[in-house]
Amino acid sequence: MTVPISAISGLSSVTSVAPTQSVTQTAGAASTSGAGFANVLSGIDNLQQLQSTTNDLAVKAVTGDLDDVHDYTIAAAESSTALELTAAVRNKAVEAFNEIMRMQA
Amino acid sequence: MFESVSSVALQSALDGLSLRQRAIADNVANIQTPGYHAKKVAFEDALSKAVSHGSGAAQAHTARSLEPTRMDGNNVNLDEETLLNVDTNLRYQLATQAMSNEFSAMRTAIRGS
Amino acid sequence: MTTFGAIGIASTGLTVHRKWLDAVSDNLANVSTVRGTNEDAFRQKYVVAQEITSGQGGVQVKGILEGSAEGRLVYEPGHPLADKQGYVRYPDIDMSSQMTQLIMAQRGYQANAAVVDRAKETYQAALQIGRN
Repeated sequence: MTVPISAISGLSSVTSVAPTQSVTQTAGAASTSGAGFANVLSGIDNLQQLQSTTNDLAVKAVTGDLDDVHDYTIAAAESSTALELTAAVRNKAVEAFNEIMRMQA
Repeated sequence: MFESVSSVALQSALDGLSLRQRAIADNVANIQTPGYHAKKVAFEDALSKAVSHGSGAAQAHTARSLEPTRMDGNNVNLDEETLLNVDTNLRYQLATQAMSNEFSAMRTAIRGS
Repeated sequence: MTTFGAIGIASTGLTVHRKWLDAVSDNLANVSTVRGTNEDAFRQKYVVAQEITSGQGGVQVKGILEGSAEGRLVYEPGHPLADKQGYVRYPDIDMSSQMTQLIMAQRGYQANAAVVDRAKETYQAALQIGRN
């Protein structure tokens, strides 16, 4: 005896695929060298200020108004180091510029 | 560029030590002055507290010693001042060397390129 | 405050101790100075020090105390300066106290000189910062 085959139920529509979760933002890499480098570059910005501070302290030292002589020598060392940095950065920039000009030729 | 805790702390130390040297000079000049109380400069505690809080700046303070006085009211102890003078001088030289080393290191880094 | 303050302060100390040394030396030199009873005896000198509170500090001489003018009356009838009763005046100076003061004044002078040396070393170290 044959068994009646029930009708095949219609396929339910495919539900929409849920969008995949966007990858969460990776935590920003801790700015270590970033902040350090900015500090160093601030030396270039401050060069003028450092030099004028040094000159003021030098005058105070010779007129006898300076309380501590190390204030002057430290300021002098600071402005001298900042000056070296500025010169080195400028020299590098000039070198790089010349490199590029050579490449173009 | 020169605002690191160690740079500022070294400068505070130099300021404090220089003030201490003046106090010692004053005390030694006044060993015979009736009624004179020795001047003492304190800054090390304030400085280590400041450093542990992330800053390097500390002020030095001068205060009068409360040690017992001799008959003329003077309480300067010459031996103590002499030893303190040697100690202060050596610490000062140490701090100036540390400062110089910081500058040397920076210059080496700049020139190394 | 001046730049090399410790040296300036120590130099005031040197000056005062030098004056003290001079006074004590003078006293000791005149321990046997005889005067007639119609005059004052040689009066011993004592330097009184005072702290300088203005400017950078240090010490100064507040004044010089003079010892007794009476001195000690001593019976020396043979002395050319003796009065009718045969007395002359000797200064009222205690030798041992003066010797103690001499040693203290010297010690103080040397201590101030040592301060100058140390301060000079300190300032020289400061001048070397950043020089390489």
